[in-house]
Amino acid sequence: MDKTNVSAAAPAVALPTTTPAGHRWQRELRFADEHLAAAFRGEEPLLLDGGMGTQLQARGLAAGETPELLCLSNPAEITEIHAAYVAAGSEAVTTNTFGANRIKLAAAPVTAKLPGSEARFEAAAPSVDQIFAAAIACARAAGPRYVAADIGPTGALLKPLGTMGFDEAYDLFAEQALAAERHGADLVIIETMADLAEMKAALLAVRENTSLPVICTMTFGEDGRTFLGTTPEVAATALSALGANAVGINCSLGPADIAPLVQRMIAWSRVPVVAQANAGLPQLHDGVTSYSIGPEEYVAALEGMVAGGVSIIGGCCGTTPGHIAEERGLIARVGSAMKAQLPGELPFTVASAQRLMSLPMGHVGVIGERINPTGKKRLKEALRSGNLDYVLREAISQDEAGAQILDINAGLPEIDERVMLGRLVNEVSGVTTLPLQVDSADADAVEAVVRPYAGKPMINSVNGKRESLEAIVPIAKHYGCALVGLCIDEGGIPETAEGRLAVARRIVATTDAAGIPREDVAIDCLTMAVSTNQLAGRAILDAIRLVKAELPGVRTVLGVSNISFGLPYRPLLNATFLTAAFSVGLDLAIINPLDERLADAVAAWRVFNGEDDHENSYVQVYAERAAREKEAAKAAAAPAVPDGVWLHFSDDSWRQFGQAAGTTAPPEAGAAPFAAEAGAAAPAASAADALSGAEPAVRELHDLVLAGRSGPVPEVVRTLLATHDAMFVIDEVLIPALDEVGGKFEAGTFFLPQLMASAEAAKAGFEEIRASSDNADVASKGKIALATVKGDIHDIGKNIVRMLLENYGYEVVDLGRDVDPQAFVDTVVEQNIRLAGLSALMTTTVPAMGETIKLLREQAPWCKVIVGGAVLNPEYAEMVGADFYAKDANESARIAGEVLG
Amino acid sequence: MASYATAPELGRYAIRSVDRAEVLRYLGYLGHEVAPGFDEELDARIDRVIARCVDVSQPAGMVRVFDIAAAGTADEPPVLAGTTLRLSGHDISAHLRGARAVALMSVTLGLANERELLRLSLTSPLDQAIFDAAGSALVERAADAAEARIIALAAERGLYANDRYAPGYGDLGLEVQPALLESLNAPKLLGVSLTPSNMLVPTKSETAILGLFDELQEHREDRLCNVCACREFCTIRTQGRTCRG
Repeated sequence: MDKTNVSAAAPAVALPTTTPAGHRWQRELRFADEHLAAAFRGEEPLLLDGGMGTQLQARGLAAGETPELLCLSNPAEITEIHAAYVAAGSEAVTTNTFGANRIKLAAAPVTAKLPGSEARFEAAAPSVDQIFAAAIACARAAGPRYVAADIGPTGALLKPLGTMGFDEAYDLFAEQALAAERHGADLVIIETMADLAEMKAALLAVRENTSLPVICTMTFGEDGRTFLGTTPEVAATALSALGANAVGINCSLGPADIAPLVQRMIAWSRVPVVAQANAGLPQLHDGVTSYSIGPEEYVAALEGMVAGGVSIIGGCCGTTPGHIAEERGLIARVGSAMKAQLPGELPFTVASAQRLMSLPMGHVGVIGERINPTGKKRLKEALRSGNLDYVLREAISQDEAGAQILDINAGLPEIDERVMLGRLVNEVSGVTTLPLQVDSADADAVEAVVRPYAGKPMINSVNGKRESLEAIVPIAKHYGCALVGLCIDEGGIPETAEGRLAVARRIVATTDAAGIPREDVAIDCLTMAVSTNQLAGRAILDAIRLVKAELPGVRTVLGVSNISFGLPYRPLLNATFLTAAFSVGLDLAIINPLDERLADAVAAWRVFNGEDDHENSYVQVYAERAAREKEAAKAAAAPAVPDGVWLHFSDDSWRQFGQAAGTTAPPEAGAAPFAAEAGAAAPAASAADALSGAEPAVRELHDLVLAGRSGPVPEVVRTLLATHDAMFVIDEVLIPALDEVGGKFEAGTFFLPQLMASAEAAKAGFEEIRASSDNADVASKGKIALATVKGDIHDIGKNIVRMLLENYGYEVVDLGRDVDPQAFVDTVVEQNIRLAGLSALMTTTVPAMGETIKLLREQAPWCKVIVGGAVLNPEYAEMVGADFYAKDANESARIAGEVLG
Repeated sequence: MASYATAPELGRYAIRSVDRAEVLRYLGYLGHEVAPGFDEELDARIDRVIARCVDVSQPAGMVRVFDIAAAGTADEPPVLAGTTLRLSGHDISAHLRGARAVALMSVTLGLANERELLRLSLTSPLDQAIFDAAGSALVERAADAAEARIIALAAERGLYANDRYAPGYGDLGLEVQPALLESLNAPKLLGVSLTPSNMLVPTKSETAILGLFDELQEHREDRLCNVCACREFCTIRTQGRTCRG
C-alpha cells in the first residue's frame, strides 16, 4: 500500500497531544542506547536476569517478609545478587521492587533484615520513592548495561470480582513509574499479572507518566489461562495494541509448559515476545530449597522458543546465575530475533478479557445491534429505570444467536450517558465474554469506558468532521481500540460512492498519521433508505468496493436495516442487501442476530465465502433445522388443540399432551394439577379453597406462582390482561400468591429455593404486565436502598431480598457490595429514600453496618433501617442502631409493607 | 534436629461431585429428612446448577509444613520457623499445644467460580443461591483434599495431624491471613487474594492451620476410614496403611 499518496490526497487532521480526559497520548520513548531500541524493534536479542526472591530465600529471607525493604537494610547483598547475574551475562537486571507499592509497604513489618547481617533497619514505613531509589542504586552498583524497574501486582483484586477500583490501581502504579524514571531506570518490567485490567492500569501508568519502554508479562496456568481467564492470544493482542514494547509470559510454570503458550502469543503480538519461566517446582530438603529444573534442561526447553521467535529471555522463580549463563550461551549459539510479522494482511481483532474475536481479511463478522435504545420502548424503559435485567437478557440472547461483538449504546436524552454507558459495559461484561463496541459520539463517555475496559474494545464511532477526528482518534490510538469511521463530514453524508470514499480517505489519513494500524479501522459507508432514493443501495455497495480497493488493509462495517426503512416485508430486503454487501467486501455487519433471515444470510454467505467449518457450522445447524421443520409440519397436520384449553394444564401434562397430540383427550379445564406435583408442601390445597369460584386463568396464575414455574406465566398473564386491568392481576393474584408462599416459608413447609422459584414466577408476571401496559398503570410502592456493607463482599442474601422486594412492587436501588457508608447515605439523601436494608455476613463487618446507620441518622433521619445477614441477630441489630431486624428475605418484605405500605 | 519443613506445594483436586444433601443443608433445609422431591422441575434445576458448579470450579490448594522455632505454652502458640506469620490467642495455642511441626493450607475454587457467581447474581438470584451453596460444599471437599495431603506429609515424617483450624474462629483473628497466604505463596500460585478487610477472594476459598504431633490425635483414633472426609483423597491407604498407624 502507498500511504504517502493517500495522505497527499486527503491531508490528515492534526491531533492534539492529550485525550479529552487529559491523559497524554503521545510520548517519545527514551532508549538508553541503540541496542535497547533495536531489541524493542525485535531486531536484536535481549538477555534479562533470573529470580530475585529465591536468591533472597537462599540467604535466609523468611516467607511473608517484604523483600523490598532489604534494598534499604541490606543493599550490599542485593547488589551482590545483581552482580552475579551481570557476571553471568544479564544485560538488564531487574530491581527488587516487585511489591513496592504504597499499600504493601504500609502493611509491611519494618524490621526486615537478613539473618546474621549487621545491618539494622527500624524506621517508619519507607515510601515508594525511597525503595525505588535504593533498589535502582543497588542494581546500578552491580554495573549492568540496563536497569529494569520491576512492578508486580498490587496484591488486591480489581472490581468487579475484587474491591479495588481501576483508578486506585492506576495511582499506585503511577507512583512506582514516576519513582522508577526519577531514579534512573532504563526500562520497566510489569510482571506476574493475572488480571488484564490491572495490567492495563500499570501499563497506562508507565506510558502516561514516563518515557521508559515497558515489558509486560502475564502469568498463566496449565489450562493456558490466567486466573482471570485471559488467554495468551488476548494478552498479546490487547497489550501490543495498548503500546507495550514487549509482551510475554513469566512465572507459574516451567519452560516446557510455557513453550506452547509463548508460541500462541507470538502469533498475535505486534511487538517482541518475552519468556521468563520458573525453574520447575521448589523442593525443600533439610531446610534447603532447590528447584527441579537445572540450567541445561531449562535452556534446552528455551531453545525451541527462541527459534520460534522469542527474542527477550531471562528467568523467574528458581532460576539462578547458572541458568542465565546457559542462556547467554544459547543466544551466542543460535542468535535470536523477533519473528517477522506474518506475510499478508493482519486480521481484524477485538477482545474481551476472556475472548478474542479475530477476522482474517475476507471473512465476515456479526456485531449485535440490540443494545441501543433508539426506537426500542422496552430498552428505553430499562435504561430510565436502571433495572437492567432486560438489557442483560438481550446481551445473552445475542451471544447465543451468534453475535461476535456487542454494540453498547446508552444514548437517551434524559439519562446521563457517561454513567449509564459505564454501567452497561460492566454488567454486560458480567454476563457474556463477548468483546464490546462502545457506541457513543461523546468523546468523554467513550474514554471513560474504554480506559478501564479489560480487553481491546471497538469504538463506534469517529466521522470525517475535524472535531470528531480530533476528539476520537487520540482515544482509539491511546487505548489501542478498533475504530469505526463513518462516511459523513461537515457536508453531511455524500450521496455518491466517490464522495464517501473521499471522507474515508480523510479518516484513514488521520488514523495512519496517528499510528493506528489499518486492520483496526472499519469504515462505515452508511446505509440510506432505498424508499427515498432507489439508487442509495447501489451507492453504498459501490462505496464499500471502493474503500476496500483504495484503502488497502482497512475494513468495512455496516448497519444494514436502515436500507428497508419505509418498505413492507423488511427482513427480505435486509437479508438480500446484506448478502450483496458481503459480496462487495463488507467485513462486519451490525445486525440483530436474532433475526432469523439475517442470521441465515450470514450462515449461507460463509458457505459461499469458503469460511464455513463443515464439521459443525452450516451442515450441523441447518440439518437439525430441516429435521425440526419436518417434524413441526407433521405435528401441524394433526388436529389442533382446542383454543384456550391447554392453558389450564400444568407444564408436565402439557408436555405429555404435546407428545400424544391428537390421541389423548385433554383433562377437564379447571382441574388443579399442581396440588399433586408440589409434593410435600402441597401448596395448592388451600389456594383451591380460597379461589374456588375464581376464573380458571386466575387460579392458573396463582398455582404457577405457588409451584414456582415461570415458563407459562407470561401467556397466562396476557390472557388475564385481556379482561382485567394490571392492578387486578397484581393485587388480586400475584401478591396474594406471594403472601401465601411467604406463609409457607414462615411455617417451614417451603424452603428457600421454593420461595425464590415462586418469586421468579411472579417476576415473570410483573415483567409481562410492564411490557404490555403503560407505566402509569403500575405505580411503584416506594423506593428501598439495599447494600452489603463496606468490607463485605457476600451478596447472596441481599440479592434474594432484592428479588422479593421488587416482586412486591418496590423500586429497589441496589448499591451492590462493599458499599462505602457515605456513598450509601448520599444515595438515600439524593433520592429521598424512606427505607434502607443493610446486609453483613461476617462479624468483622458489623461495625461498618453501625457506621452506616450512624451516618444515616445524622444525614437522613427520616430513613428507617432493616438489617440482616448470617451473623446478625436481634441483639446485634439493636446494638448497631437498626430499626428492624429481618431474619430472612420474607420478613424484609413484611417490614417493607409495614413501613411503606 | 531434623527438619520437617516442606516447600509450598500446589495441588489440583479432581472433584467430580458434591454431596447433594450437604448443598441442600446450606440452602436451609434444616432438620428435615433430606428427600425434598417437592417439585421435579426445581429438583432438576438444583442438580443442574450443582453440576455447573462442579464443572466451572477449579479446586486447588497449597500446603506447606513449617518447623517450630519456639515451643508454645497454654497461652502462647508456637513460633513457626522461616515465616513472618505470628499466631496469637488461647484457642490456637490449645490447638497447637505439643505440636512438632505446623502445617498451613489454603484452598480455592478459583476465580472462574467467582465469575460465574457474579454472572448468576445478574441473571438469576435463585441459581446464584444454589451455586453458592454448591460452592460451599465443594470448597469443603477441596479442603478435605488438602488435609489428606497434609496427613500424608505428616505420615511420611512419622507424625499425626489434628483437625483444620481456620482463622476467624475462636480468638484467632483474620489479621493473620496476609502472612498465612504469603507463607504459602498462595497469591501467586493459587490466585487467592484478600480484601482490605481480610476476606478471601475468591469467596469460595479457605485457609487452615493444623498441628503435626508425635502421638495419634484423639479424633483420628476413633475415626474410621469409611467415615473420614479425606477418604477420597487419601494416599496412605493405597500403601496398605492408615494414618492411625
